[in-house]
Amino acid sequence: MQGVSAPREPTQQVISTTSTILNMREKEKYIEDFDFPFCDESSKYEKVAKIGQGTFGEVFKARARNSSKKFVAMKKVLMDNEKEGFPITALREIKILQLLKHENVVNLIEICRTKATLHNKYRSTFYLVFDFCEHDLAGLLSNVNVKFSLGEIKKVMQQLLNGLYYIHSNKILHRDMKAANVLITKNGILKLADFGLARAFSVAKSGQANKYTNRVVTLWYRPPELLLGDRNYGPPVDMWGAGCIMAEMWTRSPIMQGPTEQQQLILISQLCGSCTPDVWPGVENLDLYNKMELPKGQKRKVKERLKPYVKDPYGCDLLDKLLQLDPAKRYDADTALNHDFFWTDPMPCDLANMLAQHTQSMFEYLAPPRRPGHLRHHHHVAGAQAKPTQPVQDSGYQDRVF
Amino acid sequence: MPYWYYDKKDLQNTPSYREGIPNDTENRYRKEGARFIIDTGSKMDLGYNTVATGVVYFHRFYMFHSFRTFPRYITACCCLFLAGKVEETPKKCKDIIKVAKSLLTEQKFGTFGDDPKEEVMTLERILLQTIKFDLQVEHPYGYLLKYVKCLKGDKAKLQKMVQMAWTFVNDSLCTTLCLQWEPEVIAVALMFLAGKLSKFEVVDWNGRQPKHNAWWDMFVEDITMELLEDICHQVITELIGATRIGKIVSKINVGRSQCIKWIAL
Ligand SMILES: Nc1ncnc2c1ncn2[C@@H]1O[C@H](COP(=O)(O)OP(=O)(O)OP(=O)(O)O)[C@@H](O)[C@H]1O
Ligand SMILES: [Mg+2]
Repeated sequence: MQGVSAPREPTQQVISTTSTILNMREKEKYIEDFDFPFCDESSKYEKVAKIGQGTFGEVFKARARNSSKKFVAMKKVLMDNEKEGFPITALREIKILQLLKHENVVNLIEICRTKATLHNKYRSTFYLVFDFCEHDLAGLLSNVNVKFSLGEIKKVMQQLLNGLYYIHSNKILHRDMKAANVLITKNGILKLADFGLARAFSVAKSGQANKYTNRVVTLWYRPPELLLGDRNYGPPVDMWGAGCIMAEMWTRSPIMQGPTEQQQLILISQLCGSCTPDVWPGVENLDLYNKMELPKGQKRKVKERLKPYVKDPYGCDLLDKLLQLDPAKRYDADTALNHDFFWTDPMPCDLANMLAQHTQSMFEYLAPPRRPGHLRHHHHVAGAQAKPTQPVQDSGYQDRVF
Repeated sequence: MPYWYYDKKDLQNTPSYREGIPNDTENRYRKEGARFIIDTGSKMDLGYNTVATGVVYFHRFYMFHSFRTFPRYITACCCLFLAGKVEETPKKCKDIIKVAKSLLTEQKFGTFGDDPKEEVMTLERILLQTIKFDLQVEHPYGYLLKYVKCLKGDKAKLQKMVQMAWTFVNDSLCTTLCLQWEPEVIAVALMFLAGKLSKFEVVDWNGRQPKHNAWWDMFVEDITMELLEDICHQVITELIGATRIGKIVSKINVGRSQCIKWIAL
C-alpha cells in the first residue's frame, strides 16, 4: 500500500518538500502500483455480454472471477470529452445509489476501476457494479410470449410503487421513469434502476421556488407540467411515469409516443383532456403555457380509451388517478398503494412462476424496436411482434455475445 | 467497509510519517491545506458545507498517500473541485486554479506543474478511488443548529454561544478532528467549549429526562468529560497557533486566567 520508496525512519529536522517531491516518472509508477484498498480493479469481473447502451455509457453483464461466479451488471462511467472531470451526473447517481437501500431499488455493490497505466494516460475508467437482474420491463413487454396475468400486473405495480414510495420518502426524484429503467429479477423482484437523472429535492418553502431543469424524463413518459416548463416540480413527475408504465403493462408499448414536445402535449391532451385552469389551477402561470399550442375543448378519455386493454375497472380507475394533468391531484405512491386495485381479487401474485417459463434474459437493448404510435382509438389488443426478443443465454439464461 | 475514524496512534503513523515527514510537519501541511481550501472557497463564495466537505476529503486522502508524493496545494484544489460538484455548487476547474494562483506564491503554485488543469483531472480520479467514492460527508454545523434548538435559556446568550461554537467548528477543520470523531461528537464538544467561554451554563433543555446528566446525553451516548476536554484542547491549540485566542478573550470578555485554565485542560 505504500509508495515507491522504502519506508524510512523519520528525521527530526524539517525536510524541504520541494526538493523531495517525486518526479513525474516516479509519480506515474506510484499511481500505477498503488493498490487502492477501497476500489477494486474491474478485472475481478469477466464481461459476458453487452446488455445496454445509454447516453452515459455502456452496460455489460459480467461474472465474478472468484469462486462465487456471481453475475453483475457493470455500467461504465463515460468520461470522454468531460471538461469538468468526473461527471457531476455520475456523482449524483453514485451518491443517490449509496443512500438508497431497498428491495425495490437496484443495489450498487461497488465501484471498480481499470488500472491506471501509460496506455490510458494514468487515468482509470470507472464502472458502477450492480446486482444483476435478468430482465428489464421494456424487454419483457416487447416479447409476446411473456404474458402477465392481472395478479402479476398488480404485483409489478405494487413493487414499482413501493420503490417510488421509498425513494420519495428519502427526498429523491427519479426523473427517468420508463419501462427500460425498471428491472425484474428471475425471482420476480422488481428494482427501480438508472438514477442517472435523479436528484435530491427539497419541499419548496413559500416564496422560494426550486429551479430544477425541466429537460428530464424520456419524452414519452414526460408529464405535462415538465412539458409546460415547470421548474419547481416534485414527486408527481415520477407518478405520471408510473401511470404510463402501468398502462403499458396491457398495451405492451408506450401509450403516448410523441415525436416532439409539442406533439407529446397534444397526445396528452387527446387522452387526458385539455390543460385548462379549470381542471388544473395554476397551469396558466407555467412558463410555456402561452408558448405551446394547447388543444382546446378536448374531453378526458383516460378510462374510455384504456378500458379495452385494461378491462379491470379498478385498474382503469387507478390509471385515471395517476394520469392526472394537475400534479397536485395526481395520486402519490402511498395513496396509490392503498387503492382498491391492490386489495381486490385477484390479489397481487408472485411473478416467479411465470418468469420460470422463460429461460432467456430480456432487455430493451436486445429487443427489436417496439411498435410505434400505439394506443389506437378503436378496440384493439396489442398485436404480435414481428420477431420475438433476441435470446440471451447462460446459466440457463441466454446471452447474445458481441 | 470504510471506517474513517482513527485513533491517535494511527494518526501518527501516516504514509507521510513513514516517508520521513515528522508529525509536526505533517500537521502543518494539513493545516495549510485546510486553510487554503477555506480561503479559496470563501473567495469563490462557496458555502461552509462545500468547504468543509473539501477539507474532509483532504484529510482522508493523506491517510493513504504522503505529502511527499502529492503536494498539498494542488490536492487541496482537487478536493474543493470535487466537493463543489458533490454539494451541487460546482465551480469550473480553471476558475479554482485561477483563484489558487492568486493566493499562492509563485514557488508554491509551481507544484501544480505545466498544465495545472490536467494535473487536477488526473488527481481527481486518484482522490475518488482513495476515498472509496464515499462522497456524502456530514459536518458538525447542522448538529449545532439542531442542539441549540433544544436548549433553554436567554435567547441572545444562546445565539452568542452557538455563533462561537460555529467559529470553533471552522477552526476544527484545520485539525485532524474529523478523522477522530463523528460530527455529532465534535458539535457537542465545541458547543460545550463555547458555553464555558461565554459563561453560559445550560441548566435545562427540552426533552430532559431524569437519567440525563447533561444536555448532550440526549443526543450522543457515553460522552465523557475526558473526551470533551480532549477535543476542546485540540481546537484551542489550533486557536493559539492562529493567534486568535487573544481576540476571543477580548471579544467575549472572559478573564484571561479562565481562558488559560481552559487552554491548560
Ligand atoms: N443491474 C442490472 N441488471 C441487469 N440489467 C441492467 C442493470 N442495470 C442496467 N441494466 C440494463 O442496462 C440498461 C441501461 O442501464 P441504465 O438505464 O442504468 O443506463 P443508461 O440508460 O445508460 O442511463 P441513462 O438513461 O442515464 O443514459 C437498462 O435499461 C437495463 O436493460
Ligand atoms: Mg436507462
